[in-house]
Amino acid sequence: MSHGLTRKSELAQISDEELAAQMDRERAELERTWAPPTGLRGWLTDTDHKRIALRYVVTAFVFFVFGGLEAALMRIQLARPDNHFLDPDKYNQIFTVHGTTMMFLFAVPIVTALGIYLVPLMVGSRDVAFPRLNLYGYWVYLIGGILLYTGFLLNTGPDAGWFAYVPLAGPAYSPGKRVDIWAQMITFTELSGLAGAVVIIGTVFKMRAPGLTLNRLPLFVWAQLITSFMIIFAMPSVMLASGLLASDRLIDTHFFNPAEGGDAILYQHLFWFFGHPEVYIIFIPALGFISSIVTAFARTKIFGYTAMVLSLISTGFIGFGLWVHHMFATPIPQMGQSFFTAASMIITIPTGIQIFCWIATLWTGKLNIKTPLLFVFGFFANFIIGGLTGVMLASVPLDLQIHDTFFVVAHLHYVLIGGSVFPLFGAFYYWIPKWTGRMLSETLGRWTFALMFIGFNLVFFPQHILGLHGMPRRVYTYLPESGWGTLNLISSIGAFILASGVLVFIINFLWSRRAGEVAGPDPWAADTLEWSVSSPPPSYNFHNLPVVQGRHALWEATPDAPVVRGLSTTKRETLVTSVLDAEPELRFEIPGPSIWPFLVALGTAEAFIVGIFTPWAIMAGALLTGAALICWFFGDPNYENRPAIESPSKVASPPELRPKEV
Amino acid sequence: MSTRNVIDISELPHHGFDTYDPVWWGNNGLLAIETSMFAILIATYFYLRQNFALWPPPIAQLTAPLRPLPDLGFGTANTILLLLSCIPMAITDRAARRGDRDTCRIGLGICVVCGLIALVLRGFEFPAVYFRWDSNAYGSVVWFLLGMHMMHLLILTGETVLLFVWLLTREFDMKHRVDIVTIGVYWYWVVTMWLIIYAIVYFTPRLDLRT
Repeated sequence: MSHGLTRKSELAQISDEELAAQMDRERAELERTWAPPTGLRGWLTDTDHKRIALRYVVTAFVFFVFGGLEAALMRIQLARPDNHFLDPDKYNQIFTVHGTTMMFLFAVPIVTALGIYLVPLMVGSRDVAFPRLNLYGYWVYLIGGILLYTGFLLNTGPDAGWFAYVPLAGPAYSPGKRVDIWAQMITFTELSGLAGAVVIIGTVFKMRAPGLTLNRLPLFVWAQLITSFMIIFAMPSVMLASGLLASDRLIDTHFFNPAEGGDAILYQHLFWFFGHPEVYIIFIPALGFISSIVTAFARTKIFGYTAMVLSLISTGFIGFGLWVHHMFATPIPQMGQSFFTAASMIITIPTGIQIFCWIATLWTGKLNIKTPLLFVFGFFANFIIGGLTGVMLASVPLDLQIHDTFFVVAHLHYVLIGGSVFPLFGAFYYWIPKWTGRMLSETLGRWTFALMFIGFNLVFFPQHILGLHGMPRRVYTYLPESGWGTLNLISSIGAFILASGVLVFIINFLWSRRAGEVAGPDPWAADTLEWSVSSPPPSYNFHNLPVVQGRHALWEATPDAPVVRGLSTTKRETLVTSVLDAEPELRFEIPGPSIWPFLVALGTAEAFIVGIFTPWAIMAGALLTGAALICWFFGDPNYENRPAIESPSKVASPPELRPKEV
Repeated sequence: MSTRNVIDISELPHHGFDTYDPVWWGNNGLLAIETSMFAILIATYFYLRQNFALWPPPIAQLTAPLRPLPDLGFGTANTILLLLSCIPMAITDRAARRGDRDTCRIGLGICVVCGLIALVLRGFEFPAVYFRWDSNAYGSVVWFLLGMHMMHLLILTGETVLLFVWLLTREFDMKHRVDIVTIGVYWYWVVTMWLIIYAIVYFTPRLDLRT
């Protein structure tokens, strides 16, 4: 079943030369209309989703390197017993900032950033639905990251663990400003994550090209959509947790103060109701990367599309029923423990289904073994180990025994690095040619993979054994009599091998910018729409929006595939379509570059950062933000007075415009 | 001569109401975030209640009431006002759809007045709780619930003022007609949230939930 011809247009009446000249004229006009502002103004105001996404990627990667350096410091400290390379206070700050950086400043922003770059291209739109909200999200994220590292460099880095449990993080046991910085940084990054989620949902629901029904949506886009919904339901919980913690610390509320009826376990519930879905917020986009890579490098259609989509959705739901398994060491009723054990085991089923579907796809395809696919194989090996230890930890008696030991450290790194960082590096090797127009070196790519795979397993596999031997987390050293020295040394050596793999990747990237082979639009002969445009894509993404004819848009396009005509070339217009069937509804003018998102972000920053020192700053920040929003509201000239559709029954889409079923 | 199949969309409109417009979806996305926030905050309210033998806790003074239940007066007045304010909002909403500028101006004006009165009434609701935010966990969570809702009342009223000023000073264009319909959704959401919070803050303490 395919969508065929709709109607011949004016183009049919002109000669090839005239047509080519007209197309060139249109492209030149589009270039002018969508041209990004340059210089400092461009930095502050540009709303192009691709540039914002790449800024996210670069910023998050810098934070990844920072987090990695902190990990290296910890591994140096733990390399031998009774080491005094770091003192306990530094060690506390470093593991807290390491965890906080990796979870909040690296993992979530970078997987979302790939969505911000690729979703509009994959659904055939000229930009995201809310470009200015998108820009605001980037600024608050950057400010949050700078806040954390400013504190850290001033010896005011948070030191109560990346989840900042009370009472340790409460006003009684953590005086000073360290935990306040943590709490406010959380607010910034979560604001950014929530903004990104709304942007992606709006884009996926309303900006899809005609013919791209939900039933044909690439699995990458499904993964991003489901992640965005999880963000919407999970992140308010951690904003509330960090907000209540900050208010306990700053204005003397008693949410977590048992002496006045507050509750420390409540904090753990609030944190993990976010914290467990967070794992899936990091992991589900990675599943999307894998589906894209497996399809392209197996050179065949994905096996079990419907099962894959349903697995993603059920992972999204079950992910909310697991949070208590982080709290088995607290007084939870036994009934509750059983429920959460069951849910923790059930969640392996949808993930298992997906892994079998990928294996089936690889089995039936003609493999093109390149670096991205190697990283997918690495994912299979490492993530399955992490999944197995996850099933072990779901069992309450075992969990109680190894709670807060290095076994948990090993498990969570196998899940997060194996489940998300390996697919992410695969995604880098796969999509960087699209972003920069240059191929990365395949030889260096294989070196990256080999070093990362060997290094990663050397670091974390011994930690399982150390944990079973009782080595606790978050303790800055251990005694020689413990006998943990050898395994720790192996782990530390592994850390440097892993780091050298990342270094090879950075070298590869810098080398490819100068000397890499020119990629062309579609170096992998892949199936999704981003490969139909030049690399890097033009600022307007698509000259003529495509019409999608199947799940694998480029592979299933017929030679006479129609295109969309009639969007303005002198205004930033894109097509808005219906949610389920992607039928054309509106020519929507997308807002362009603006300074207001940056200024609103500054207002937000004033409220939260100065708010650490005086509550009055929140009032001032509200006024500043309000003033910037008023200017945003009155300063926008991009609208046109046209009649609207009154009700859904009177949709102004003439019947002949709808693609006919053939 | 070459031919190419096209879908011609040059006749499509620029704006549509409700599900047609991306702004409607963006607004609803933000409201979904805030709904989860309130849901989790309400869960927090009942979680904290487990720590109290009496909710609200008794005040240890002979002259004060033994069990300081929140006074109903201002909260109830506010509930009635907010419910009634849905009428001008609904009229404005319909007027925006048919393009009736004068009705929109009057309707939004009434809504602005309602929002401002509701904010003043909210100011009187805080003392009616009998505890401050820093008295105990009960005071903290009730102030937070009332305060978070007040923040939405403030943003809602602010946005309505902006649209009202736009209608008085600028063109009554399609984009802002869509905005009026969209702010209507926000208005009904704020009122609905209030009905839930009103029931919880003012009436659940009057029920004995101990089993």
